[in-house]
Amino acid sequence: MSALPAASPAEVVFDVNHVTLRFGGVTSLNNVSLHMLRGEILAVIGPNGAGKTSLFNSLTGVYTPQEGSIMLAARPGDHPTSVIGQKTHKINHLGVARTFQNIRLFPALTALENVKIGVETRQKSGPISAMLGMPWQRREERDSTRAAYELLDQVGLAGRANELSASLAYGEQRRLEIARALGTNPGVILLDEPAAGTNPAEKRDLAELIKGINVELGISVLLIEHDMKLVMSIATRIVVLNFGEKIAEGTPAQIQRDPAVVAAYLGTSAEEASEQASHQPQVRLIDIDSHGSEEGDQL
Amino acid sequence: MSSPTFNSFRKNPLVVRLVVCLAGGVVLALMWGSQEGSTTDSAHAFTEAVLAPRIVGFLALGVLVWALISFWPRVRPYVVRPGAWPLVSGVVTVGAALFLMHWDDQVGNAKFSAVSSAVADTSGLAPLVTIYFGWLYWVGLLIVALLSAATIVTRRSLLGWIAAALSVVMGVLGLIAHSTLLDFTGGIDHSTGPFVALAGYVVIAAAAIAAGTSPEQVAQSRAFMAGLFGWRPGLPLVVVGALATIWALASATWFSPQNSNLTLSDTRTTFEGTGLSSLAVQYLAWLGWVSLAAAAVLTGAASYLRHRLLGWIGALVGAVGVVLTLITLYDISDLGAQNKFNSATGPWQNLGIGGWLACLGLFLIGSGGVIAAITPKSASGGATAEPIRSVLVPSRLRAAGDTLTQYRSLALAGAALVLFYPPMATLFWQKVLVIEVGVYVLLAIGLNVVVGWAGLLDLGFIAFFAIGSYTTAFLVGALPRKPPSWLHLSPLLAIPFAIIFCLIAGVLLGAPTLRLRGDYLAIVTLGFGEIIRIIAINNPGNFTNGPRGATNIPHPVIHLGPIHVTWGLDSLPYWYLLVVIIGIVLLLFYRLENSRLGRAWAAVREDEVAAQATGINATKVKLLAFAIGASTSGVAGVFFATQVGYINPDNFVLNNSILVLAYVVFGGMGSLPGAMAGAAVLTWLPEFLKDQVPSDDRVMWIGAIVLLMMILRPAGLIPAKRRKAELSGLQGTSSAETTAVPASEGL
Repeated sequence: MSALPAASPAEVVFDVNHVTLRFGGVTSLNNVSLHMLRGEILAVIGPNGAGKTSLFNSLTGVYTPQEGSIMLAARPGDHPTSVIGQKTHKINHLGVARTFQNIRLFPALTALENVKIGVETRQKSGPISAMLGMPWQRREERDSTRAAYELLDQVGLAGRANELSASLAYGEQRRLEIARALGTNPGVILLDEPAAGTNPAEKRDLAELIKGINVELGISVLLIEHDMKLVMSIATRIVVLNFGEKIAEGTPAQIQRDPAVVAAYLGTSAEEASEQASHQPQVRLIDIDSHGSEEGDQL
Repeated sequence: MSSPTFNSFRKNPLVVRLVVCLAGGVVLALMWGSQEGSTTDSAHAFTEAVLAPRIVGFLALGVLVWALISFWPRVRPYVVRPGAWPLVSGVVTVGAALFLMHWDDQVGNAKFSAVSSAVADTSGLAPLVTIYFGWLYWVGLLIVALLSAATIVTRRSLLGWIAAALSVVMGVLGLIAHSTLLDFTGGIDHSTGPFVALAGYVVIAAAAIAAGTSPEQVAQSRAFMAGLFGWRPGLPLVVVGALATIWALASATWFSPQNSNLTLSDTRTTFEGTGLSSLAVQYLAWLGWVSLAAAAVLTGAASYLRHRLLGWIGALVGAVGVVLTLITLYDISDLGAQNKFNSATGPWQNLGIGGWLACLGLFLIGSGGVIAAITPKSASGGATAEPIRSVLVPSRLRAAGDTLTQYRSLALAGAALVLFYPPMATLFWQKVLVIEVGVYVLLAIGLNVVVGWAGLLDLGFIAFFAIGSYTTAFLVGALPRKPPSWLHLSPLLAIPFAIIFCLIAGVLLGAPTLRLRGDYLAIVTLGFGEIIRIIAINNPGNFTNGPRGATNIPHPVIHLGPIHVTWGLDSLPYWYLLVVIIGIVLLLFYRLENSRLGRAWAAVREDEVAAQATGINATKVKLLAFAIGASTSGVAGVFFATQVGYINPDNFVLNNSILVLAYVVFGGMGSLPGAMAGAAVLTWLPEFLKDQVPSDDRVMWIGAIVLLMMILRPAGLIPAKRRKAELSGLQGTSSAETTAVPASEGL
């Protein structure tokens, strides 16, 4: 942890402290603490059922954790505000956009309309000015169309703007979801397994896209991903969850050497893994890698 | 032994299907006709319906359906040939004209069978009439249908031309026999049977020609229609309009006091030297024909040459023609009223359909000019410029501009019908148009916002209709509690108040209940609808006047500067008031559908979680849907109260809420034209069936038709673009191959 840049309060995007989320008797997140820094790509990894998506849902207000605090300052200069108990759309307005593990586009709308919906949540004109066709409403309509086309262009879907989103290929739907999220002008974007079900070429494009979002648009990225190659190549830092608990946090290099992570992925106890780690450092990486891509293929 | 044989029969799909089809025939036999049991013999209906010779026909129908399904692969190559489906639809049209429609209003129940038996009992008729109504009508149809079918099978062009000629002859014979009979019986006649039959015969003729001459193995119906209608923008409208106007000017009735069907030229001679205004005299003499010719030539040229300016000029000439026709109609009917023809009390009485038909035709011609003027040259140019090539280019390869032109043409044709059809209808149908069709179309448009766009199931929609009605009754002082004197309003001024009250009621209902989903929301709204009705019955604070309701609600009036319009007991003026209201609502809602809120509704309907994560305030968006839908219902309530003049809680029962929902679903959820078409068709159908089936059976037939429709077209009559995609998923893109095959293949 000492190798990480010191986190001054102003640079923290998400400050998650001792969050616990239960469903009846099942504890989905157990005393999880992490902080995400502005401008970084933070990856959350862990086996299936580790609580990664529960963490996303807690951060975006879909679930309300029973304990702990989550403070958010999505855009530069924002005051940290608590997201616990806030409505999902409110949190989105605070600058948090997300995609979903199982793609959730609006299938009966075109690609362009999907993105426009994202852009338009930042607009002002109401139903009456729409019914009367007021000039400012028309201007906003033009603005949102232009912005949506630009976003589609950024994710490489400009040529498919008027196709129904349900008719797009799988990888295209994933990118469209990212475009829709970007349309809401976020300070931080949460990507839930964006590479699931995509082929190697698409994965490379996706890595470029995520880096572009991070560097050129200056948007912090929180990423859930099973594909270890992708995670290792783009993540600034990695947080590892297992059975609802955070078991490790650090740079990709640190995580690859972490015995607890190896244990979680290989299903052995931490002591055994630590033993293995000290003897055969090379094996683990391959194991993590192959294991990860297997899970990716399952989807 | 018999049991293995029985089992093998039972497992044979052909046998099972035959049994099902025969059972269907028996069910149809039970439905068809007016058999009724009695208290002493409850099986009477059954014996009458099933144990009678007529069962053979129904069983034969079952066998026919069975054979069609079972041997479909062998039938299919013929059915997809050019002309097959036009032939079927033409025969069905002629059959409908012969069995369902009126042929002479002066005879009995006026349907063909009644006319036929009356003709048989009457001597001294022209031989053509006796022969046609005696046997020629069915023998002719049979011969024409068989010849056309033979053409489809043999593909001989000579046979096709003979069948086509015979078909047209049959249609014209029907027309002549009908008009000869009318001359004999006299009186005003509104029957449309012969004209529909003629249209059917023309379709059969086209089918026979296509079957005999087309080189195609598989009919490219869609491409052909697209090529036919898309050849030149607006030309179909011009042609149809010109034909209608020619008919109106040449032979339709313009003025008919004392049942004296006067055509245009008869009217001119009748009014000679009576002091008719010179404009009307000129119109009757030559101006009518000249404006028709000028408008048709100008718009036709504009359409052919794709000339914008010419199109606008033609449209203007058409509009002037409509105005001239209306002035003429006013002048002759006003003069007729001054002379107390047929005890007329004012203008616009004793008119025939001719003048209105001329207006309709000229309006269509003008619309063709508008379409020609506003269609960009590139939209349907290029590859589709030549008619033959355009027929061969599949419709899905065409520019999107063609679709837009088609929509615009349809909208203008619809506007022409909405404006000029009602005056031609009988008083009965005018009343139906206003108090059934019009009001429920408006309600369906409102409910479509809630159910179709926002995806919220609302079973208490009629409550807002009630709130609108009672608001009106209160504000005009028709309830026991009077409004403060400064707020005593004329009915139309109650509209904004009704809108506000319904907005508030919609929010009050929505705010606590919108966290419920699906079925739960439906039950709560159902309860709300009943609560409002029961409050009205319980008469709290002597406000609603209990079960007696409000009486003597005044009819609407407009006094705006020099404009004075009053509505009375006639239905027709209300129709135009409704058209204005619905037109405004449609314009506003069309914009709304394509706005930020419209898309937000679609998003919440499709995936609420994703919509919220994208920043949409789902609760607010749903509340807006409730409020906007409710206020539309409130406007309908104002109209209803002031048109009918009395309201009571019985007007607002649960049944009406369910009916409106059925209209929206039937027409196509989320589609404005669909909701309107659904309401129009399903309010028209019961009135139409009054004539066709025993009154006890009416609801059963409506149910059967709705069921059939939902099986064959689950997305509704005119499916919404967005909903259609949702229902059909990725299979939405169909090829010409699959569209040529009917849905029944899946049986």
